[in-house]
Amino acid sequence: MHVNVWHELVESNVGKAGILLIGLVIFLALFAPVLSPYSPRENTDAPAFSRPSEEHWLGTNDARQDIWTQLLYGARTSLSVGFGVALLSAFIGVLVGGTAAIFGGLYDRFWMRVVDATIAIPDMIVIILVAAYLRPNVLLMILLLSALSWPEGARVVRAQTLTLKERMHVSAARTFGAGWSHLLVRHIIPDLGPVLVAIMIQDARRAVFMEAGLSFLGISDPSVMSWGKMMQYARVFTYLEVWKWWLLPTGLALSLTLIGLSFTGYSLESALDPRLREDGHHHHDGGI
Amino acid sequence: MLEISDLKASYDGTEILAGVDLDLLRGDSLAIIGESGAGKTTLGLALMGLLDGRCSGRILLDGKDVLSLDEKERRKMRGKDMAMVFQNVEDALDPLMTVFDQVEEAIVAHREKGDPEDVGDRVRHLFRSVGLDDGKSESFPHQLSGGEKQRALIAMALANDPQVLILDEPTASLDAVTKAEVTCLLRERIREKICLVITHDISTAAKLTGRMAVLYAGRIVEMGETEDLLENPRHPYTRGLIRSSPNMTTTKDLQGIPGRMKHGVSGCPFSDRCTQRIGRCGKEVPQLTEAGDRVIACHRGGIVPLLELSGVRTSFGEFAAVDGVDLTLYEGETIALVGESGSGKTTLAKTVIGLFEQDEGEIRLEGENLCRRDRDFYRRVQMIYQNPKESISHRMNVLEAVAEPLEVQKVGSPAERVAMVKRVLEEVELASDEAFLKKYPHQISGGEAQRVAIARALVLNPKLLIADEPTSALDASVQAKILKLLLNLQEKRGLAILFITHDIAIARKVSDRMAVMLEGKIVEEGLTSDVTTSPVHPYTMRLLEVAPDLAPTRGARERGVAKETREMRDGLWEVSEMPPLRAREI
Repeated sequence: MHVNVWHELVESNVGKAGILLIGLVIFLALFAPVLSPYSPRENTDAPAFSRPSEEHWLGTNDARQDIWTQLLYGARTSLSVGFGVALLSAFIGVLVGGTAAIFGGLYDRFWMRVVDATIAIPDMIVIILVAAYLRPNVLLMILLLSALSWPEGARVVRAQTLTLKERMHVSAARTFGAGWSHLLVRHIIPDLGPVLVAIMIQDARRAVFMEAGLSFLGISDPSVMSWGKMMQYARVFTYLEVWKWWLLPTGLALSLTLIGLSFTGYSLESALDPRLREDGHHHHDGGI
Repeated sequence: MLEISDLKASYDGTEILAGVDLDLLRGDSLAIIGESGAGKTTLGLALMGLLDGRCSGRILLDGKDVLSLDEKERRKMRGKDMAMVFQNVEDALDPLMTVFDQVEEAIVAHREKGDPEDVGDRVRHLFRSVGLDDGKSESFPHQLSGGEKQRALIAMALANDPQVLILDEPTASLDAVTKAEVTCLLRERIREKICLVITHDISTAAKLTGRMAVLYAGRIVEMGETEDLLENPRHPYTRGLIRSSPNMTTTKDLQGIPGRMKHGVSGCPFSDRCTQRIGRCGKEVPQLTEAGDRVIACHRGGIVPLLELSGVRTSFGEFAAVDGVDLTLYEGETIALVGESGSGKTTLAKTVIGLFEQDEGEIRLEGENLCRRDRDFYRRVQMIYQNPKESISHRMNVLEAVAEPLEVQKVGSPAERVAMVKRVLEEVELASDEAFLKKYPHQISGGEAQRVAIARALVLNPKLLIADEPTSALDASVQAKILKLLLNLQEKRGLAILFITHDIAIARKVSDRMAVMLEGKIVEEGLTSDVTTSPVHPYTMRLLEVAPDLAPTRGARERGVAKETREMRDGLWEVSEMPPLRAREI
């Protein structure tokens, strides 16, 4: 069965919308310095709580900082955490899931129990506790979130590898004397491709959401701009009209990022899963 | 008795015989077989003292050293004590004399005061004993057919009832029917004599002799009982000779011996053509050593066992897919593993190559027990699979696929690898240009893909190839080409092949030996010709019954020509039975 996953992704409306949304956010994050003349911490000349104007598209906050700029730079944090976690946890997932499937036996059973145990850990509480001891920064966030989110990926990779392993070209490679790293890199991972992308998008979505939530709770690098933090600040001023262009756009940006990732993930999965592909109207948990 | 020791002969400094030792008693008949140029005829001529070149060593006939005699004494012996039937029937007879006169001359030459009447009677007797009537005996050679000339020559050789008879290609230029008659005649006439049959025709040699010596570049490389030697050749050269001679016994396709015979090779004379040579073979000449009832000259003790399985058992849970298998595969040999699907053939193959682990038993490769299969193991053993397109990753092009084993084994630099890939692709008769190297499995045909898979398996130069139903996914003509290719590669590289198939008809064509597998056990094993012609196990019989057959209505077809054929056959029988009967009249 040969499915051109990318083709199917672009064909479906959901997939198209998802990719457009992600593209938009990436664009905003990448070109932040171009799209705004200010820096996120700069105290501008405009008065605090000023309304949206030509100089300040989304007005200013209590410290006379430009909200639009903060939004742009917040996207950078969200995306780096999202992509960082996606890459790292997919890497761990492939390594653990792939080798568990290739070696089997006790090694396999050991790692699968580790996976079960890790899934059972309540993420939020662990991160809050760990972050309370170690000073939180973006890298730590990525490490912590990856450490907790790789097991789902590992499970899927293991299941896929078990099937792929039985393919004849993998057997053939084994009879050349190939070790696990060769099998994984040359034969398993290329065929895992789309599945891996689906896993990564799932991980990224979760990471973006978790990062926003954690920084909303105050667990974040104080020197880094973040949507969660912005919302927490904005929430204090809900009695003023300022929430309309401070709290709302931030929440909207976060939601659109998550929706973009969900849509892409959803249509990827329906492209990969023949049962979902046949009647595309299956209810699927977008899971935001 | 005839004792030959360290007989050497050379022409213009080229050594043709490099030390031959033979002991023959009255009643012995020995075949000397070998390719042309091996020194067979030289040996015969040296015995007769007719050699132009230099000769050394000893030839003792009843204790008398023939080589030290002067020409006059030799002449007395020639034709009387020792006679030779020469190779070329056209040249051996004088065209200006009747054959009667020629035989008479042979007798008269050795009788100082002969009664002419007596001689005439004897000549007539001789001619009758070789199946030529009086009318024929008065003919000139050109009036006789090839077979009749050969008979006349035999009569001439027998004229003085010699003790030693040397037959040089006695049936070479005869058609099959005449050949059978002459062979029959000779068998009767050589009793109670010392007979040397020099021939490259193994089947004639087999019919005439009790023992057989294989001569290669002036040396005897193997000698033993004829039947045993032909059934179970131990020297690689003997096996090559048998494989390349057409006969009705073996069923495998004909295979040649790579290379050409050269005289004066240092070390073992066969070493440059041998596929199992080791360093020593090129340096030392192997001595003839006794091994059982055979003598053999080989540093490796004859054809080496490459893969030995004993009591191998592989099970999945309670179920034993392979249940106590013993099997030995020799260098350069094909064993076909035949059986229905589910009989454990593939499991056995995968156990050997290490994709499954055995529970019990031993697997030895070149004598060493395989406990762990390391990277080095896979240089010596490779496998090809049923479905070539599945066994090659669809993400790899031809170059990447064939180079993959080299990459895994870390052989050579990238440039060297490309060169090696091209070489092996040419060996499997594929294109090796850039365009082909860049093709992906789905862009080539099934036959090409299987060739790529074979190239990939051979690029590491393995000694053992496991072929798991290599042609069952291909159509018949492509299948035939792939099988031929495998046979050629075997001939060239001395590849041992474990050929797994459910099709006994294919197995019959490609294998030397056959093992029939049923429910994880080998139920019958033996020479392919034996197993397919006289199966013992009921399951083998069943397999043969259901094997592909091109003449489902053979009975009817035979009826059409039965009358004529039967008459002809009856005629033939009479002819071939005649000479022995007449011989007894004397």
